[in-house]
Amino acid sequence: MTLPAKNSPKERDNALLVAIAAGDRRALEELYLSYHRRLARFLSRFTPRYENVEEIINDTFMVVWQNAKNFRSASQVSTWIIGIAYRTALKSFRRQKNHAGTGSLEDYPEQTVDPTLDAEIHDWLKHGLSRLPMEQRLTLELAYHMGHSLEEIAAITECPVGTVKARMFHAREKLRQYLPTLSGGPSEMPARIG
Amino acid sequence: MTHSRSELSAEHQEVSALIPWYVNETLDEPARKRVDAHVDACAICRDDLAVQRRICEGIHAQPALDYMPVASLKRLQARLDALQSGSVPVQAPSPAQQNRGAVPWRGWMAASVAAVAVAVGLVIVDRWAQFDARLTQPKYRTVTSAAPRPQGEVIRAVFAPTITLVELQSILDEAQLRIVSGPTEAGVYSLASNSALTVRASLALLRQHPTVRFAEGTLPEPESGKSP
Repeated sequence: MTLPAKNSPKERDNALLVAIAAGDRRALEELYLSYHRRLARFLSRFTPRYENVEEIINDTFMVVWQNAKNFRSASQVSTWIIGIAYRTALKSFRRQKNHAGTGSLEDYPEQTVDPTLDAEIHDWLKHGLSRLPMEQRLTLELAYHMGHSLEEIAAITECPVGTVKARMFHAREKLRQYLPTLSGGPSEMPARIG
Repeated sequence: MTHSRSELSAEHQEVSALIPWYVNETLDEPARKRVDAHVDACAICRDDLAVQRRICEGIHAQPALDYMPVASLKRLQARLDALQSGSVPVQAPSPAQQNRGAVPWRGWMAASVAAVAVAVGLVIVDRWAQFDARLTQPKYRTVTSAAPRPQGEVIRAVFAPTITLVELQSILDEAQLRIVSGPTEAGVYSLASNSALTVRASLALLRQHPTVRFAEGTLPEPESGKSP
């Protein structure tokens, strides 16, 4: 199959998925590499362990490989893939929760900190996010880091738009409690919360 | 025009709910203007908007883990190889599996798993060598490279939103066309001819499918009196 010109990420993704539906392993590899970083960042909100993130990503792409032919061209490939990853991660997370308790962002391995970021805000945000229920945390991640619209998040999470709004509302309220000085500026920050 | 207190409250709540998507710039123009107008007059929402922007910036700036996509891909390839060979769906052991607690049958399983892993490993090495060679191929084009072929668009078409990619490909194969770009935001595909079949014949083949909502040639019509 001849792949179409790749004028935009959406067109490239569509072309790759057509090729994958025809059994093209090379197209799957290309799609995998182009999504890996985005998915890994997103899934790290579910679990701090990289090996679990990797397993969920690979499970996701097994589903992509086996179901590419059923993908409806009216949808966006990115929404479809992130939706699969979201549901796979939820299942995995619930299994692990039963097995070993929930993970926390405190479990993250050593990370490289952006020196330009205000250290206190970073620290507070990390704590605040870790205290949110999973669905609320991921709604924030989908909107604020991945830049998805309300309707796209509803499609990814297979929820009504009203549910997404409610999750976001509660997430914002809780973060406001954890991060009261965000509205007042760094000078008013107390030493530590939580 | 005056608004009742309940109307103002309802407007406040509705606009407040839109603020996160105002921040990530995914609202359509009318919704965006609605937020703009409300925020100008509402100190609470103005404050919330500032908070949400800081949270958004903070989430963006959070450091990422050091990801290893190539190593992960190798494990996926091993799973696909096992799947395609029809063998037992062996999964190359991931660190997650390695970290799981000991199980009673682990000892005797280790030998057989090791044997399978060696076999899978040989396949991976072979596959990886091929993939690595592809990765190292340059993805850029210099000005001295051969000029790219024109896209060759001859038809623009729109398909039903429910069509699957496989159905789409089947229709294109029948009409001897291929996608050169698309779909656009409006769902328009640009199609090029794959054979000596005339554009008119390809159009006729396309139009007989109910899932083809629109199909038109993009080249000038042949002079009148001449058949294509």
